[in-house]
Amino acid sequence: MTDNDTPMTDGGTDTEARTDGGPPATVPPDDETPTWSDRKERSQGLAQLTYQYFERSRREDENLRAESTYVERDVLGFPTWPHETLRNLAITSFFVGIMILVAALMPAHFGEPANAGSTPAIILPDWYLYWSFGLLKLNPINPELAVLGGNIVMGNELLGIVAHGVIFGVIGLVPFLNKGSARRPVEQPFWAAVGVTGVVLAFTLAALAIQNFFPISLDLLITLTFLLPVLGGIITYAVLKTMREGYMYDLNRRYYMLRPPK
Amino acid sequence: MSLKKQDEMDHNAWLKNQDLTVIETAFLTTLIWLDKRLRIVDYLELLETMYYRANLQMPKSHTEQYDLDNKFWYWYPLYSLGSLSIVAYLVAAVSGALLGFYYAPSTAGAAVQGDPTAAYDSLVMIMKDVQFGYMLRSIHRWAAQFMVAAVFLHMLRVYFTGSYKEPREVNWILGIVLIGLTLLFGFSGYVLPWKQLSYWAAQIGVEMALATPIVGEWAAQLLFGGFTLGQATLVRMYILHVFVLPFVVTGLIALHVGIVWVQGIAEPH
Repeated sequence: MTDNDTPMTDGGTDTEARTDGGPPATVPPDDETPTWSDRKERSQGLAQLTYQYFERSRREDENLRAESTYVERDVLGFPTWPHETLRNLAITSFFVGIMILVAALMPAHFGEPANAGSTPAIILPDWYLYWSFGLLKLNPINPELAVLGGNIVMGNELLGIVAHGVIFGVIGLVPFLNKGSARRPVEQPFWAAVGVTGVVLAFTLAALAIQNFFPISLDLLITLTFLLPVLGGIITYAVLKTMREGYMYDLNRRYYMLRPPK
Repeated sequence: MSLKKQDEMDHNAWLKNQDLTVIETAFLTTLIWLDKRLRIVDYLELLETMYYRANLQMPKSHTEQYDLDNKFWYWYPLYSLGSLSIVAYLVAAVSGALLGFYYAPSTAGAAVQGDPTAAYDSLVMIMKDVQFGYMLRSIHRWAAQFMVAAVFLHMLRVYFTGSYKEPREVNWILGIVLIGLTLLFGFSGYVLPWKQLSYWAAQIGVEMALATPIVGEWAAQLLFGGFTLGQATLVRMYILHVFVLPFVVTGLIALHVGIVWVQGIAEPH
């Protein structure tokens, strides 16, 4: 077989341009269906990589299953009907009932119609956006963020926007920074402390948003806005570190009771 | 070969021979009628196979494996926050659809600045004249508050039980997106009554958009219909609130729950 006879994908050869479609394309009969490795050899580039990865992951699955001591049992747990269904129905009705009760006790209020000509003394969003509104009131710390020759790096409003981006970004990064199988806060006091810091920060930012209601100076309020979360985090860390010994003892004991060492 | 119908294919005769209740007969008749035209049995079989495959491959949950049921129950309320936010979302959707019959997204009718607009008047009409209107609006408002609260608490639960960890990063990020969209839902709903607080909240929204570099002016045009508030703002907020966000959020919730279904619930040790 010379180079010129190398079959192309359409069944023709390189030597001449065929206009009649070339010889019929070969279709493998049923008992000659290409195996995964055949396909892998024939294909190239990304498709080949995909096949290779599929084989690897299938082999990995098989190995893991072979090594596993995991025992499949018959269905444990609650049956869907009636147990799960009734429980969920009860929870749902209770929740909807509470919602309607609260709506009846504290009906929606109504304010003045919109007036572009008069700015109200207090502008506030709904409570769940207080933290966001608080971020927009960070302008007093803007000069302190200046790095070059005392000029502020960005405008006050841009600072608020950037702060939003930072907060959402940090939350989004969490699963990429914290890995492993630990599930309880006591197992990872640091990450629990980070969480408490975040929660307290949300509350202090909300307090910053409604600063008019607090009879303390703005400087003190802004200091507290950032001091209290850190304080909360440190306390959480200390408490969890202290609790950890006892908890881990219980946890280990239960673990080894369930899976005694061989 | 005869073209006459074979006896074994006579499903109706087979149906008559059976001793069935009315419900069973009605169900089977419908099924046969549909199946003759659409051959749905094939699809049902496909679904059944998928169901069994999915369930046979589903691993034991952590509570089942380590027999933690008796230690777990008192945390249960925290684990139902996700579905409670869906319940609140559904209540808000139903009451919102009913409110939509009466609401008019229009700033017309104000001769002088500060006069009530058509939107404001329709809200007054809902609360004063419409049968159960006041209750409907209160329920809609509180359903929204409950949804936001449940979503935030759901995020805290997921954080403090480490449920966002390694194979579940995508769902955590999807959850952040959903929280953002929930807040946008709340914000756009807050603007709709076109009262003083709505107007000035929207004003802050426009200023935030304009302060954003590069995309800011474009975003202000898109979301608020310009740099000053008016009819365009109200209509855009309305369409966002009743058309765009419902589809997007419902779709993302389905995806969010679907991923939880595929990956299994992450339970604490």
